[in-house]
Amino acid sequence: MDTFAKLQILSGAARYDVSCASSGSKREAPSCGTGNTSSSGICHSWADDGRCISLLKILLSNDCIYDCAYCVNRSTNPMERASFTAREVIEITLDFYRRNYIEGLFLSSAVMQSPDYTMESMVRVAEALRTEEQFGGYIHLKIIPGCSSELVRKAGLYADRISVNIELPSQASLQRLAPQKHKNAILEPMALIGREISTSLVERKVSRRAPQFAPAGQSTQMIIGASPENDFQILRLSQGLYKKMNLKRVYYSAYVPVTADNRLPVLASPPLLREHRLYQADWLLRFYGFSAEEILSEDAPHLDESFDPKTAWALRHPEFFPVEINRADFATLLRVPGIGVLSAKRIIAARRFSLITYEGMKKIGVVLKRAKYFITCSGRSFEKPDQPPALIRQQLLLSENREALVSAPSKQLVLPGFFA
Amino acid sequence: MNQYLYDGTADGLLSAIAWILEEEPDPEKVMLRERMDTLFEEGFTIGTDATLAESLFFRLKQFAPDAAHTLYSFMLAEKEGMETSLLHYVSLAFKHGDQVKGYLTHPAVRDIVYIAKKAGRELHRMKGLLRFEKLRDGAYLAKMAPDYNIIHPLADYFSRRLRAQHWFIYDVKRRTAVRWNNGSLQFGTIEQFTTPAFSEDEKKVQALWQAFFKTIAIPERKNPRLQKSNMPMKYWKYLVEKQGE
Ligand code: SF4
Repeated sequence: MDTFAKLQILSGAARYDVSCASSGSKREAPSCGTGNTSSSGICHSWADDGRCISLLKILLSNDCIYDCAYCVNRSTNPMERASFTAREVIEITLDFYRRNYIEGLFLSSAVMQSPDYTMESMVRVAEALRTEEQFGGYIHLKIIPGCSSELVRKAGLYADRISVNIELPSQASLQRLAPQKHKNAILEPMALIGREISTSLVERKVSRRAPQFAPAGQSTQMIIGASPENDFQILRLSQGLYKKMNLKRVYYSAYVPVTADNRLPVLASPPLLREHRLYQADWLLRFYGFSAEEILSEDAPHLDESFDPKTAWALRHPEFFPVEINRADFATLLRVPGIGVLSAKRIIAARRFSLITYEGMKKIGVVLKRAKYFITCSGRSFEKPDQPPALIRQQLLLSENREALVSAPSKQLVLPGFFA
Repeated sequence: MNQYLYDGTADGLLSAIAWILEEEPDPEKVMLRERMDTLFEEGFTIGTDATLAESLFFRLKQFAPDAAHTLYSFMLAEKEGMETSLLHYVSLAFKHGDQVKGYLTHPAVRDIVYIAKKAGRELHRMKGLLRFEKLRDGAYLAKMAPDYNIIHPLADYFSRRLRAQHWFIYDVKRRTAVRWNNGSLQFGTIEQFTTPAFSEDEKKVQALWQAFFKTIAIPERKNPRLQKSNMPMKYWKYLVEKQGE
């Protein structure tokens, strides 16, 4: 099979992997080599589904010995199989990089022969790119669950980011849908990576020459909607991963039915809106100071379909509002629907010069049609004060639904820090 | 209100601003525009002094790096008719430092920041969207037609990224070009551009990229609107993956 045919098979198989982030790493180009990484992340193109293309995202092989129910590559699925040689991956990466098609390589793989065999082949690609080709671009390696910790360590030395997919939100589901994968084979390398990253950070404080370990951190991915866990369970899991495992990102991927299996739910379409709401809730966890328990509870374990989670929270907590724009601190401003991290920062900055007026808020970028129910501006309110939440709910729905329904939820990653 | 004129060049603009900041008690009250040499033009013409322009920029960079960055991005836009706003912006930046960017309620600040952002955004976009093609002699060539005059910072960026290659970037709109070879950048203009011959494997690599571009999209999630808003059609002309669509 020629490289072209392999690329078609092995990039098609990789497309459901959502992580396209290439940010968070700063690597200088080796003086005689090619490539650096940029800390703000760069999109090189946008695919027909509107997602950012920044990395050459491919599988080394789709020839899997495992049989996970939700996966196209499962061993019992009759389909064409292909495997790249290390040389082929290296050549394509360099050819693409030199033409500025990509930021770097995102290499994952199905399990060929054994986890160790697979991981070793993947590490070899990264090693050759770094040491033989002096490649300074971005490399993201997926860790194959069950491979030796030695290989995990090696992967972290050559890659900017390494990740282990958690796949499903609970052990029960993992057992049912991916019987050959074990929870420990996933969590152990995660914990190991977390430890290595912090050790390397400490060592590098002492000496700039200490080796970097996965400088862009660790991320993971889980499939949403293939198993019965509710949003509360999922958010609590993510919260734990951020807090205990020091993960940089958790990616959620709406389940797209690719093979028929009676262990899987039958869905009319992938649960995109749910995925979108989870991403919004995830932002609240990471940047807005919310906890999973504030967003959802045992009694109300599902994210609201009609409102983003912050608005939903605000509607449940009328006692918190109204917030006074000209006095509230940063953390309080962040809790107002329609005020994002950027506009909250701008409000604080603009207050230094003068009191903020209604017009001023518009210029700052506050989404007033949402915020107006929750704020006062130098004591003045925009809506009748003390409206019952049910009424606000209705008005918000009226004003927003039209757009909310037509504008498809975007999975576009927002590049943090860019033009803030 | 005092009125000043300058010769229309970037150096002229910056040196005029430097001069006014030095001599005028209240720079936010004066106007600055390009000299048109019409008969009844009013205003005092300030001469162009490249060193004065440069020193203004470096002073601002030290005092308020962020505001200097905004000034730089604004200059890439080659906007005419906004000299007075720029003067007021720079004057405010020397007063308030980088906090000036929070002063979006001031019309001059808002206008300058807005244009600078647009230029900066295109520069960032182009870092991703520029496409090099390999020539027969082993060098690489990229063509572009950006709205803003971003070739300098773009070349700077690629000189750090594609160090080991010999490459050219050509701005088709402005007929300007830059060459990177053996560790140095050279800028120039090209009056007559003829596309050189490509290397033998160029078509093959492009076909690989086109195939990757097609297969990486999830067919169930086609979203041409989102694609176009992220990657406006005006850039498609030089995108390998958008050829023959
Ligand atoms: S191990 Fe990975 S590639 Fe193989 S079937 Fe399971 S999910 Fe798919």
